[in-house]
Amino acid sequence: MDFYFGLAQIIGVHTLLGLSAYIVLLTGQVSLAQAGFFAVGAYVAGMLTVLAGWAILPALAVSSLFGGAVACAVGFPALRVKGLMLVIATLAFGEAVRLFFFNFDYQVAKGGVKLGPVGGEGFRQIRYFPEHGWTTMEVMLFIWGFVILAMALLWWFDRSRYGAVLRAVGEDELAAQSVGINLTAVKVSAMTVGGMIAGLGGGIYAHYTTHIEHASFGILLATFALAYPILGGLESVFGTVVAVVFVQGLLVEGLRFLGDWRNLLFGALIVLAMNVRPKGFLDAPALLWIGRIFRGRRGAA
Amino acid sequence: MFFDLIQNTLDGLAMGSSYALLAVGFTLIFGVLRRVNLSYGPAIMFGGYCATWVHLNFQAGLLALAIITIAGAVLAGAYVERLCFAPHRQGSAIAAMVASFALWMQFEEAVTLVMPSHVYDFPAMYDGPPFEFGSLTLRMEALVMLACAVAISYGLHRVLSGSRFGLAVRAVIDSPVAAQLAGIDVPRVLLQVFLLASSIGGLAGYLIVSTHTQITPMLGMWSTLKGLLAMMIGGLGSLPGAVAGGLVLGVLEAHSQWFLGPQSRDLLAFLLLFGLLAVRPYGLWRASSAEAEA
Repeated sequence: MDFYFGLAQIIGVHTLLGLSAYIVLLTGQVSLAQAGFFAVGAYVAGMLTVLAGWAILPALAVSSLFGGAVACAVGFPALRVKGLMLVIATLAFGEAVRLFFFNFDYQVAKGGVKLGPVGGEGFRQIRYFPEHGWTTMEVMLFIWGFVILAMALLWWFDRSRYGAVLRAVGEDELAAQSVGINLTAVKVSAMTVGGMIAGLGGGIYAHYTTHIEHASFGILLATFALAYPILGGLESVFGTVVAVVFVQGLLVEGLRFLGDWRNLLFGALIVLAMNVRPKGFLDAPALLWIGRIFRGRRGAA
Repeated sequence: MFFDLIQNTLDGLAMGSSYALLAVGFTLIFGVLRRVNLSYGPAIMFGGYCATWVHLNFQAGLLALAIITIAGAVLAGAYVERLCFAPHRQGSAIAAMVASFALWMQFEEAVTLVMPSHVYDFPAMYDGPPFEFGSLTLRMEALVMLACAVAISYGLHRVLSGSRFGLAVRAVIDSPVAAQLAGIDVPRVLLQVFLLASSIGGLAGYLIVSTHTQITPMLGMWSTLKGLLAMMIGGLGSLPGAVAGGLVLGVLEAHSQWFLGPQSRDLLAFLLLFGLLAVRPYGLWRASSAEAEA
């Protein structure tokens, strides 16, 4: 059973990462910096619990705020550029963050053992969960509590006036601007919220893997973050979850029996999914269809 | 100190000329398709591994290896174009980018399946002494690479401005719909551009691996990132800009390595790029946004 709980943990954390890209994508911005915010969150939360001896909840709160602050600071200069230029600017930022942690040493001796991040070797022994006797299931429920919270928040956000504003900017910036929407404010706040979610996800990630290193936060993770909402569709937050389950559950775990051949099929299936459903699994017609099933059932009952 | 500075600049130019070649191919794809092809580098790596495989199993001359590298890169490029870019021609640029990333994983997996021991030796193009002027040295390969970069970007410029094919390409850049109405086979032109860019990438790949005399699967990511960076510095869609951007990137890296150590070199390169984009969003040599907006 622990295997499935472990898988659910991975899916939960990747859902947070995907959601952080989702809200930025709603405004039409493509950001490859989400893995960078995720890395910032992971290192901050890990250092707070291991080196400063904080409890997990305040540490996650701070890592989330840190992720948001970095995203906000990056948002102002980065959002001066559009489209593919933004992709590359955010890619550069994400790689810079990764290389920063590659060079980052900060060790403190605790109880005769040196703890803390050491450059290329990474940051070992982030053992808050095992030290406090959390079981895999409890960690999984803890993670999913945050995932559901983030999804509920974004779902409500989507339905409110703010969601309409975000989508208006994403559809057509010129039209949005001419009805009086402040483009910079909207884009930077979407980026900030995305950074907060990514920082939170990173903080959780650091604690369930117990060992983080710079190489985990490279362009691979950044593209995955972007791939989830794109594969799932931008119509609803549920698309992102569906895509994470598809990629992490079905492709990564389900194809494990293929051994070394897995990545070949993995790539082919993602390309196929993009070509068959260019607007994502849950595009507007699919959601309409699902809605009709539910309404039909209610009508029959 | 002064000599060190000059020597570093020369080393930077040597490195930068490989970036310049990579950037020329990248720019061609980006300028015409307005799509980022993350599989550009991995396709080059695939070509390089094809040549390495041939080198290990048969006797092959340098020219044959170069041709095999280019052919492998073109083949891989065609695969990428058919799967990632042809289906998303009207659709979303991000979908194409994500799909090209998925193929990147395929290329890496394919080469490690066939050739599992990661690092392979590659025959050097030239193993004589480097050029010397007094106490300064410059490797021969760097000169070849720089000459290739300049010749190819000049040749491309001539083709684009002077031939029927170039006219068709420019018509497609201007307006794919109008080009189609005028009787240009747009999908075919796009495929041809893609293959042309892949062959330039393949040539760049051959020159790079034969300079380094070894090849690893990391070559894919390295080529994509460096090509992308150089293209950005030069301003999107400009061929002379791509060459200049590559040289600037190389020189910057060489000097930052000298002053800050090899660990900080890449960090500085990315921070500079980010800063540059924030201050001059359309590259060093372009003031307006007219062409850069995608």
